[in-house]
Amino acid sequence: MTGAELDPLIHVPTRLRIVATLAALPERDALSFTRLQDMLGLTPGNLIIQLRKLEEADYISSTKTRNGSVQQTNVALTSQGRAALRAYSHALRDLLGGLDIDATSPATPSITISAEDAEAQQTRRPGNSHSDRQR
Amino acid sequence: MDHTPGTADTTQGGDFDPRQAAGLLDQATLQARRTFTPLTPLLLTFRAVALLVVFGGFWLSVRSQRPYTGHLSGAAVGVAVVLILINIGWSGLAIARAGTGVSGPAQRKWAAWTAIMVVAWIVGYAVAAPLYHAGASHPAWGLYPASAPLLIIGLAGAAVGAAFRYWPLAAALLAIAVVAAAAGFGGPANSWLTVAIGLCVVYLGIAAFTAWAQRRSVVRL
Repeated sequence: MTGAELDPLIHVPTRLRIVATLAALPERDALSFTRLQDMLGLTPGNLIIQLRKLEEADYISSTKTRNGSVQQTNVALTSQGRAALRAYSHALRDLLGGLDIDATSPATPSITISAEDAEAQQTRRPGNSHSDRQR
Repeated sequence: MDHTPGTADTTQGGDFDPRQAAGLLDQATLQARRTFTPLTPLLLTFRAVALLVVFGGFWLSVRSQRPYTGHLSGAAVGVAVVLILINIGWSGLAIARAGTGVSGPAQRKWAAWTAIMVVAWIVGYAVAAPLYHAGASHPAWGLYPASAPLLIIGLAGAAVGAAFRYWPLAAALLAIAVVAAAAGFGGPANSWLTVAIGLCVVYLGIAAFTAWAQRRSVVRL
């Protein structure tokens, strides 16, 4: 077993997908809320909840722009967010390295998802989102 | 916590196993990379085949000319026009789709790069027309359009790519310049064949690199 620790803020499926998606953009580039929602297949409410948690930790930043009468929210991963994902990847690598060496060990490291996060996961769908219903 | 790896339930509030996390991280990263990459491996492979067909077609239409005149057959030019139009349409769609909802300095930089390369392609080939009308000899004319425009485009693109720190693109464009320079030694007819094969190989290489870059794991080394 290694001493690697997984950042509990990222170690939630929905937030991990959000951070990984934003990290695929070049630094300082932002993604619109609607595009992010489409890519992840989340309901707007669920996405807002997860983004708020990441923003509170300074992992993402959001800006609002106005194009005529339409307001658009853009989301970007901050340098802290990138560093956190890098550290998370390294921690995973360390943990998996340990697991490869001792694959039969029953003591697989894991983190329990909070009830709130679990509820957010349950609302994840494909084919059940607000945007899908709009189509 | 005592449980078997890979059996955790990630949607019902159970444990989120590190192996599942690694899989999800790689999957989400791969999906995002695919979505944000304008020049997809499929599009690059199409370009490789199109370049082989276009320049190979030019070579077929001039290879038996005795004496060499450099005149291209109508069929070869027609196929080239169709493939160029398909490439422009496909590239435009791919770039628009990849950039939807994305904003920031890298997007502006990419737009500037695209504009510079379009100008380089136009200038590279526009130089050939005055040479033709100036009455350059057929061997010179035959040699020139196969190699010189690509030499200009390749070198200009490599310089701009390096300035923009697009290292893979800079390397690819330098390879195009090398192919164009090598084609200059092939003689008027065979230079088309050298360019056809060389560019096809270069673009297949870019496609393979792009596919590898998209698929490489974030977690596993």
